[in-house]
Amino acid sequence: MTSETTTHTAPVHRPGEKQVLEREATRPGLVFRPDVDIVEQKDAFLVTADLPGVDERSVEVRLENGQLSIDASPGDAHDAAWSPIHSEYRTGGYHREFALSDAIDVNGIEARLVDGVLEVRLPKRSQAQPRQISIQTG
Amino acid sequence: MTQMAQYWFSHPRSDAGPEGGDLRRRMEELFERASSAGTARVGIFPPVNLYETADSYVLTAELPGLRGEEIELTLEHDRLTLSGERRIEHPKDASVHRVERRGGSFRRAIQLPKEVDGEKVEAIYRNGVLRVRIPKSPEHQPRRITVGAS
Repeated sequence: MTSETTTHTAPVHRPGEKQVLEREATRPGLVFRPDVDIVEQKDAFLVTADLPGVDERSVEVRLENGQLSIDASPGDAHDAAWSPIHSEYRTGGYHREFALSDAIDVNGIEARLVDGVLEVRLPKRSQAQPRQISIQTG
Repeated sequence: MTQMAQYWFSHPRSDAGPEGGDLRRRMEELFERASSAGTARVGIFPPVNLYETADSYVLTAELPGLRGEEIELTLEHDRLTLSGERRIEHPKDASVHRVERRGGSFRRAIQLPKEVDGEKVEAIYRNGVLRVRIPKSPEHQPRRITVGAS
């Protein structure tokens, strides 16, 4: 499930900086590629994405045609009346998508956003979970 | 668990010298990044932006996944220090497929351009972003002069 399906990252990227995705015609403003961790447990995959500045109303996790997509629209970054005197990061929306394996129970997917971190839990279908087979003796 | 060495931190020069010099150069010095010691230069953390309004400075920092009380903020004269530890934890029994998020201890020191009023600093942490408002000291604030009618 970990294969990534979009990689159109802008070519110039300095380490540690947010990566800008190419602009999409349907969305104004900058769109960043969020940092993501993916781990696998016996019964589920966990996808964690850093989405600083985003609240739960402006994030969307979608599953369509075997693709898991994460989209977030920008939050209120700063007041237009403030004049910037030093800038190390830019703000905007976020987008990332992954191909899901068919071992996922799509009806059981859960997502929550806490302090700018999105956690998506993708349970495995029961057939895909490892099963302990007891070996009988005698 | 996490590798602090992956970050490189700001080490501003000792407190600002005499007034003067253009602001941009001074700001670059103030936010100077340590580049020596051969550590992996993965990036500065947290990235900060500094803004100015008529009566205050506003610092914002992207710090997703911390609790407000885990962020330590101190103001000494006109020098603001931001420190803490970002812990990235995954279930013990999990196997890792992809790791892009980074944790570790962090410390940033930011020299503010002018004298500030340390008594009235306000900090809020929301949606993984810290916002600190530091009022300028009264002598650096604009003053409204009432025009009386004769």
